[in-house]
Amino acid sequence: MLEPKIKFENVVKNFKTSSGDNHILGNLSFDIFAEEFVCVLGPSGCGKSTILSLIAGLLKPSSGKVIFNSKLVERPDSSRTLVFQEYALFPWLNILDNVAFGLTTKNHGKEKPQKKAMEYLNLVGLSEYKNYPVNQVSGGMRQRVALARALAVEPEVLLLDEPFGALDQQTRENMQNELLRLWMKTKKTVIFVTHSVDEALKLADRILVIGGKPGKLLFDATVAVSRPRDLKDSHLINIRNQILDNLTHPDFFMGSDI
Amino acid sequence: MKITLIRITFFLALFLIWYLVVAITQIPSYILPGPLDVFESFYIGFIKGNYLISIFYSMIRVLTGYFMALGIGIVTGILLARYYFLDITFGRSILSLQSIPSVAWVPLALLWFGISDNAVIFIIILEAVLPTALSTKNAMKNIPSNLIKAAQTLGSRGLHLYKNVIIKAMIPELVTGLRLSWAFAWRALIAGELFVSGAGIGQTLELGRALADMSQVIAMITTIGIIGYFTENVFFGIIEKRVRIAWGVE
Repeated sequence: MLEPKIKFENVVKNFKTSSGDNHILGNLSFDIFAEEFVCVLGPSGCGKSTILSLIAGLLKPSSGKVIFNSKLVERPDSSRTLVFQEYALFPWLNILDNVAFGLTTKNHGKEKPQKKAMEYLNLVGLSEYKNYPVNQVSGGMRQRVALARALAVEPEVLLLDEPFGALDQQTRENMQNELLRLWMKTKKTVIFVTHSVDEALKLADRILVIGGKPGKLLFDATVAVSRPRDLKDSHLINIRNQILDNLTHPDFFMGSDI
Repeated sequence: MKITLIRITFFLALFLIWYLVVAITQIPSYILPGPLDVFESFYIGFIKGNYLISIFYSMIRVLTGYFMALGIGIVTGILLARYYFLDITFGRSILSLQSIPSVAWVPLALLWFGISDNAVIFIIILEAVLPTALSTKNAMKNIPSNLIKAAQTLGSRGLHLYKNVIIKAMIPELVTGLRLSWAFAWRALIAGELFVSGAGIGQTLELGRALADMSQVIAMITTIGIIGYFTENVFFGIIEKRVRIAWGVE
């Protein structure tokens, strides 16, 4: 049987606060396979971002196991790169040097960082802006730079934390198409966190619906609809209704602190 | 252009009033000399006298103390930011030390180091190290955590992470701290120099008092103000502005 790329085994995550433990994730288990485009969907505060941090190795589970390529995740490395809603670009570097950043670490010392960075800048269509300071380009362009930076180190898994949440509707749609194009071209495993059902329906092969407090897996939907997708497609409407049913499920509210 | 003209007129008027007050009231020059006497002091002091030498020796003292304070302060600040235990113990005592004016350290410094340069440099270090340490600590704590997370997932860690992300992200806030430390160092220099022998701005000021040469006293006070203004506001102001633009803070 095919080994999963990423495996969560009974993962629990608590944060210690002054007023006791804050339970973020409760006993979460799922598998994600290579080259899958998975959306993690849920309301704010359900622990979606925590899932990405656990996969990236920025956080450790309180109990349970996070497994990547059959090995326990110990710490962050460039096989799993993360893209943030607020871009997190380095403001003291120009666009090209931002993309080249990961290539300057010792794992990539052999190749010329700037040359390879240029390839990825081309890929996102920003090669003519290579010398611009990052704070002088639009939000959509910044997120393209962040994508190019995350892809340039050739990760196996691309983690995206509500990456288009700060963009206007038009830019957001362009970026969604751009991401699908990049995914088809580079064949990464993509894990995309969003709170928008429509965004998940438009992008994902599979949607993991997370909810409650602590967060649990409420629903695991496979979206076997070819792209580009029309959200009025009856199959998608069907999945949409199932997701919404699960998000408003009584268990979801019973588990939350009201 | 218009503003410059207004300013020049204003200062000329100020000098005229000063001149007239002294001329009409006949105040003795050891209490309040006229502007011409002060200009004469400047002229003689800079052309024939020891003002330039005084400034040179003072600058060497203040720069020695300042750079030593930066070295100690930056390392201390990073340690305070990294180790919670140090912050709640040592970090707290630093805060209370900062409320002691530099002149209060003079008796201690004189007893430890004698009437020497070392006493002055010691006072400068004490004064400048505290704001440096505190601003370094804050600069490090205020680094956006997403920058570090992004760098880590791109494969950066250890020395690479410190050199390329942590230090770089600290720079805008650090520069503001360095400016503050400089202001403290400059004030500590003058306070210390009033009490020690040798060449220096503070010593020249004190000599003016001893000789009842009020023109020299005023000339030195003005010199302290001008150098202070240019270093604190013009020099550091330009650096701060450039860094803020380069870092996209402005």
